[in-house]
Amino acid sequence: MRPRASQTILVAAALAALIILAAHATTPVLYTAENISTAAHADPATIQKRSPGDAAAVVPLMDELLGETGTLALTIKLKDYESAERDLARYTELSGRFDRLVVKLDVSGTDIGEFQRKNQENLDSLTTLLDDSRRFDDLQRLEVEVRGDDDRHMAVVYEGEALRQKMREGFSAYAKREPTVTGIAQNYDVDTAPYQESVEHFAEVADAADDWREKTGGGTPPSPLSITLTPVEGYYGDTIRIAGTYAGGLPGTPVEVYVDSRLTETPTLDDEGRYACSYRIGRVLAGPHLVYTTTNGLYSEVRTFEALSGNTTLTLALAEVNQTTVACTGELRTGNRPVTGAPVLLRVDAATLIGTGTDNNGTYREEITLPAGEHTIRAEFHGAGFPLNYSESEARTFHARGEAPSPLPIIAALGALLGAGWYLRRRHQREVPERAPPETVREEEPLVEEREIPPVEVGDLPPRDAATLLFRTLRARLGIPETKTPRDCARLAPDHARFFERYEMIRYAGVLPTEEELQWMKKEARGDEHAA
Amino acid sequence: MSMQREAWAVLILLLIAAGAVYAHATTTTEEYSRHNTGWNGTSTLAAEEIHTLAGLPAGATLLILAPDKPFTQEEVGYLLAFLDGGGKIILADKDGAANTLLADLGSRIRIQPGNLSSLDRDHADPRLFRVRVTGNATLVAGIETLLVNHPAEVTGGEPLLETSPLTWDDTDGDGRVSAGETFGRRAVCAKESNLTVLGDPSLFINAMLPENPGFIENHPVLIDAVHSRTGTTNPVINTLTWIRETPPAGAAIAALAILPVAYLFGRKRE
Repeated sequence: MRPRASQTILVAAALAALIILAAHATTPVLYTAENISTAAHADPATIQKRSPGDAAAVVPLMDELLGETGTLALTIKLKDYESAERDLARYTELSGRFDRLVVKLDVSGTDIGEFQRKNQENLDSLTTLLDDSRRFDDLQRLEVEVRGDDDRHMAVVYEGEALRQKMREGFSAYAKREPTVTGIAQNYDVDTAPYQESVEHFAEVADAADDWREKTGGGTPPSPLSITLTPVEGYYGDTIRIAGTYAGGLPGTPVEVYVDSRLTETPTLDDEGRYACSYRIGRVLAGPHLVYTTTNGLYSEVRTFEALSGNTTLTLALAEVNQTTVACTGELRTGNRPVTGAPVLLRVDAATLIGTGTDNNGTYREEITLPAGEHTIRAEFHGAGFPLNYSESEARTFHARGEAPSPLPIIAALGALLGAGWYLRRRHQREVPERAPPETVREEEPLVEEREIPPVEVGDLPPRDAATLLFRTLRARLGIPETKTPRDCARLAPDHARFFERYEMIRYAGVLPTEEELQWMKKEARGDEHAA
Repeated sequence: MSMQREAWAVLILLLIAAGAVYAHATTTTEEYSRHNTGWNGTSTLAAEEIHTLAGLPAGATLLILAPDKPFTQEEVGYLLAFLDGGGKIILADKDGAANTLLADLGSRIRIQPGNLSSLDRDHADPRLFRVRVTGNATLVAGIETLLVNHPAEVTGGEPLLETSPLTWDDTDGDGRVSAGETFGRRAVCAKESNLTVLGDPSLFINAMLPENPGFIENHPVLIDAVHSRTGTTNPVINTLTWIRETPPAGAAIAALAILPVAYLFGRKRE
């Protein structure tokens, strides 16, 4: 094959390879395959292994939660309060796990989310039932002890009646949830029998309270401490007016107002025996809430207001703080009202959850540090004990530029560059005559080959440069290759060893030649017989 | 000497280039193709291709993979006779194209094309998840779970593979359970007598076979190459296949290759 032809083929092949590579150089798959998929399927080897959460635990947890309701209601009914405390702790712990799982799996908007909310309400009901049952037992014992003391007996009876009404209302709410909870559970083949039994146990506890009232206070006149709620239902932020009278009460007597068994206000009686206060619907679960008042051992009847579920809106705005940090800000509102003190979750890339909360204006702000790359962020509000529905913001994307590269390698590279420059400059200075010989040297080059005595003219050259020129002249005259050092030259031409050794001293030891020395070297280089 | 070295270098380069060109021309990236050696091909599936449904061997297992061509009444008749004779059919499809054939075969099983997604998964892609074996069949014998890849729901028949209850049809494709989308357990494979309908033909692609060890292994199958998408539209491959399968054409090609060489040798000797 002709050399030109083979070379042409090699060049063409190399060019073709380079063109093909260049065409694909910007294709990421050339370096790392990621998320490769078609309309029909995905390549599992390139799909990130990332589970959205322990989804397999959802149904077993639902099963356990319903099982716990049965056990807890039974122990309350049997008045085994020690066991009931343990069961309640277990039920609370399971509920917490389930709540976190629902959030993690992002299923708040599904029937599983609905089950979670109802379960929270069930937990609340059974917790109250346990407290009320225990107090009811105390009252039953007390009622026996105070028989004969009319005032104290009446106080016990009034409190018992308040408790009875509360338990009856509690049961009503608990039973009302049963069809929804059972329906959802059955969709997932969860055993609902324990839960249905819990409703029966709850009913028996409430019935027992009714029976006791029949026995002890069936003929008891209505309590002189009255109570009215206006209105009897409202949304988050609405105010319920709680008012009443106590005809026999002295002006200034404090009246304790309990909402869901928690003391919330203590207004005082006015001159006409009236009291009034307001209750703002805040962080309470949606559904019925019980209110009663007490003063001087007297209990009012139990009244109920309903916290209605309101819809919410959640916004999200992203602003770059620096190359790696983004500020997430937004507002949570229900209607025109801000939702204050509410937890907000930021879901980053559908995987990582970051918690924050709203302030008194209903706004939140959280700064998040992210690795370099594109990130999707969404804000979510999961209700979290408010009478408010789940809401989420629109998903926003943020491109994190990542940390700036460390300056150390750049500094090191600059240092190396400067060092190399300095070294080359110094070397260049030493080799000036060799790298940039005067015109006379160039004219000598043909003479080297002819081994003729060159017309050496050092002119006004500095002494060391002149010595270098003379060294090159002699080396050329003797036919020694240019690659040879002065020491090599001294070995190859021992007759001129003195010249070369002297030049070595000038060249490398920094010795400055005298005028006489230069004259002698000039003669030596030209080959004058009398030089030596 | 130097020229000889260059000549050898060029020769080796040309051979490598020819090999690359051959490999490129005789492979394809078409979905499910037997000639596709990539992740979405079926080149590693151990199966024999058949090109006619007439006279299928009794007792064999026929795989119809992602069919995209209609079956004639005659072909349906062959399949019915095959089933009656103890043959087994595995019909794998996720687009619903096989529903007509299923109706013609008298089956009540249907494929429901959709966007099945699951929370019970360990991949970021919600359509890449595990299903449980819930029935008895040779196809899934000895297997507890299978990783499926964008499967379709299968209704009717006896379920063989079922999803977790946390599975939904992601109609809006946002990867989340949105309004109107509900969780529920779904079948992705069902059988009726000797007919097995699988809602995920992707189980047979090169990338999925190692993910499901035990599946289809040691289970000899014949692939219906006429209706399945295992073929190709690549003219080079089809020509080479035709030459391989047509002895006279193969002989003619061999003769065309040998004759010039023989001629050259003859001239050299003279």
